[in-house]
Amino acid sequence: MNQITANQQVPSAAGPAPALQVAELRKRFKQPAVDGLSFSVAQGEFYALLGPNGAGKTTTLRIVAGLMRPDSGSVGIFGIDALRDPIAAKRITAWVSDEPMIYDKMTPMEYLVFVAGLWGVAPAAAARRARDLIAMLDLTAQADERCEDFSKGMRQKVALAGALVHDPRLIILDEPLTGLDARAARLVKDVLKDRVRQGSTVVMTTHILEVAERMADRIGLIGRGRLIAEGTLADLRTRVGRGETSLEDVFLTLTAENETPDDAAEG
Amino acid sequence: MAGPIESSPRPTPATALHLGDMAATGRSGLTALLKVALLLARHEARLARRDLAYILTAGHRWRLGTVLLVLAIGFVFMHVLAYGMVGGYAAETPAANLNIYIPLTGTILLALLLMLSQALERVTRLFYMKGDLDLLVSSPVSLRLIFMLRIGNTAVTTLVMICFVLIPFVNVLILHGGSHWLSIFGLAVAGACTTSGFALILTAMLFDTMGPRRTRLVSQIVSAVVGSAFVIGIQAAAILSIGRMSQEAFFTSDLLRSHAPEMGSLLWWPARAALGDGRALLGCIVLGFGSLLVPMLVLARHIGNYAASAGSAVLSARQQLSRLGWFATTSARLLLWRKEWLLLWRDPWLASQSLMQLLYLIPPALLLWRFYGHDRGALIVLAPVLTMAAGQLAGGLAWLAVSGEDAPDLIATAPISPARALAGKVEAVLMLVFLIFAPFLAGLAGLSLEMTLVVALGIIAASVSSTMIQIWFRSQAKRRYFSRRQTSSRLATFAEAFCAVSWAAAAGLWLQNPIFATVPIVVALLILCAARALRPA
Repeated sequence: MNQITANQQVPSAAGPAPALQVAELRKRFKQPAVDGLSFSVAQGEFYALLGPNGAGKTTTLRIVAGLMRPDSGSVGIFGIDALRDPIAAKRITAWVSDEPMIYDKMTPMEYLVFVAGLWGVAPAAAARRARDLIAMLDLTAQADERCEDFSKGMRQKVALAGALVHDPRLIILDEPLTGLDARAARLVKDVLKDRVRQGSTVVMTTHILEVAERMADRIGLIGRGRLIAEGTLADLRTRVGRGETSLEDVFLTLTAENETPDDAAEG
Repeated sequence: MAGPIESSPRPTPATALHLGDMAATGRSGLTALLKVALLLARHEARLARRDLAYILTAGHRWRLGTVLLVLAIGFVFMHVLAYGMVGGYAAETPAANLNIYIPLTGTILLALLLMLSQALERVTRLFYMKGDLDLLVSSPVSLRLIFMLRIGNTAVTTLVMICFVLIPFVNVLILHGGSHWLSIFGLAVAGACTTSGFALILTAMLFDTMGPRRTRLVSQIVSAVVGSAFVIGIQAAAILSIGRMSQEAFFTSDLLRSHAPEMGSLLWWPARAALGDGRALLGCIVLGFGSLLVPMLVLARHIGNYAASAGSAVLSARQQLSRLGWFATTSARLLLWRKEWLLLWRDPWLASQSLMQLLYLIPPALLLWRFYGHDRGALIVLAPVLTMAAGQLAGGLAWLAVSGEDAPDLIATAPISPARALAGKVEAVLMLVFLIFAPFLAGLAGLSLEMTLVVALGIIAASVSSTMIQIWFRSQAKRRYFSRRQTSSRLATFAEAFCAVSWAAAAGLWLQNPIFATVPIVVALLILCAARALRPA
């Protein structure tokens, strides 16, 4: 299996392709979940996708990760059309959800070697990377225990290690810090920052605005499946016209603006 | 669920609802205790009712009407079946002879094992299922009272389950023999109490000897094995001693009669009670209540400890020898095969549930061994048995691999096509099925190549059909819900069962006359076409 790692570049005629290019994405369930969403994430960027509950964040990321087909629109990952060639896009992408789905009857080491194998990492390299990640995520003591007895935080760390073991260029995370204690959350944040420093791109949703404020290079704010605002924290502060305000205030102001009078009446 | 508990008057410390404090709190304490007991009993009844409704409708209330109609038709059909099976015994009275006592006692024993299987599963769930346990345990109600009521509820549920089966038979017997047959329900009460009490003792013994972690697994396996062991044991005995795969042959054999105790023996009391002997019935009921109440009262003080240890069992992680070499490949197909096999191997409960059909292969295996090289005609029965077992086994394993995928996002985001991922899982299932049935085919090959070929084709057809149905009707679920997989799609369950039966009939009939086999083959194919047409979008 061919594998494109973080160090390889996908050739592009017009300069480096964005790590993620979402254009006019639409997905409707009973109501539109994603409604013409477009945004772009540069290579090596840490991008936080924020929005109120039901804004369409998870649906968007699930489409990007190849877990769902959109009704229309396009998704480009490092220049690869992820909807036309999902296998090529998946080779360089990793997905971590808020609900860690791992195999209870496997040990973390077995899980990581299995995941690495699925992404075509050679067995010797897989075992080495798995050991490194297990040490990095403070799981050494549990490396050879079955995951069935793990706490939510430990399971989330195993899932994150699984996402990183094949050295992805784009890491997509949906609320990865949910349920983690302070120490585990710090560990995960450090690992993600480290990956960005090494050249990987991270796209993450979170309800913890402090995390987005501290870690993200840019923030995309979505509501009702559409992009409300996008930019650095400074850009967003300028947009609401308050220079020193917190991201929480920015978030509340912009999402309130996005609500229609009907919404307000419903609320 | 939480509503009634929370809305009940919270007892003050002065009227603490502990059994041991009853004497101290006097009449008001007893009244409060009875009120809470009644409240909890109603709570249990409501949960049991909703559980039953969920099992019947798979959570879709709009299906209830259809389900009730099907049940009504089934109920009528059961009466016809009952008439054929027991109509001839309706005139019997307690003064019957050993020819009646032996088969009746055997049938009662069979029913008791079925009830024990049910009771064991319920008692185990009682300790391990979280549900509302945290809420109840954190309330000021005595833990002993909660568990005593729940064990009582186990007996009631077991009774209701067996009554569902008994009612058509008792109706037929009453209609043709008289009201004395109503005593069967009294015997059912005694049986439900006895088996619940025995399940409690067995679970407590497992807790004490094996610890909370293994108790759950062992108890579930014992429950599943007990449910089928008696039938299989009788068939095995019938084959070895008489040479026919029939329970009736065993119960009416001279061998059993020559070893049976005298007519006045206590062993025949359940049979006499069923036939309407009031003294025997009273004895059975007293014994039944006693065998439930005594362990309940004796073990009540330990029940809190069992529940607490069951709750903390998940915290004791176990060192596990990693099988890293097992996954040392970059072939997605190999990885998926090995993943499926490892997960099944490491989950003995799941393995025991899905491989339970294999227990039913013991009688045909004995038949093969006994008649090897002697009587080919008797072996024709193997063709439908093996085909049916293969279909059922493949259906269970396919559900685990396809619907019971615990990390669906991982597989969906892996750089392999969905078709390839699915193919890898299906191959893992089919290879396992063929590996299990290979020794039978090898044994048959020494007798008849034609029979071997027909059985092999039957196994392939039944396995592939079951797997295809599971793929068409797949819906994501946790592997631990394996025992309830039928509730997710009744259509798939029926299609899988009828398809396996059709292939089994085809295999059996082919060996008699291939022309006869065309009908079940066409039926099996029609079922497959219908299942495909009706599969969810």
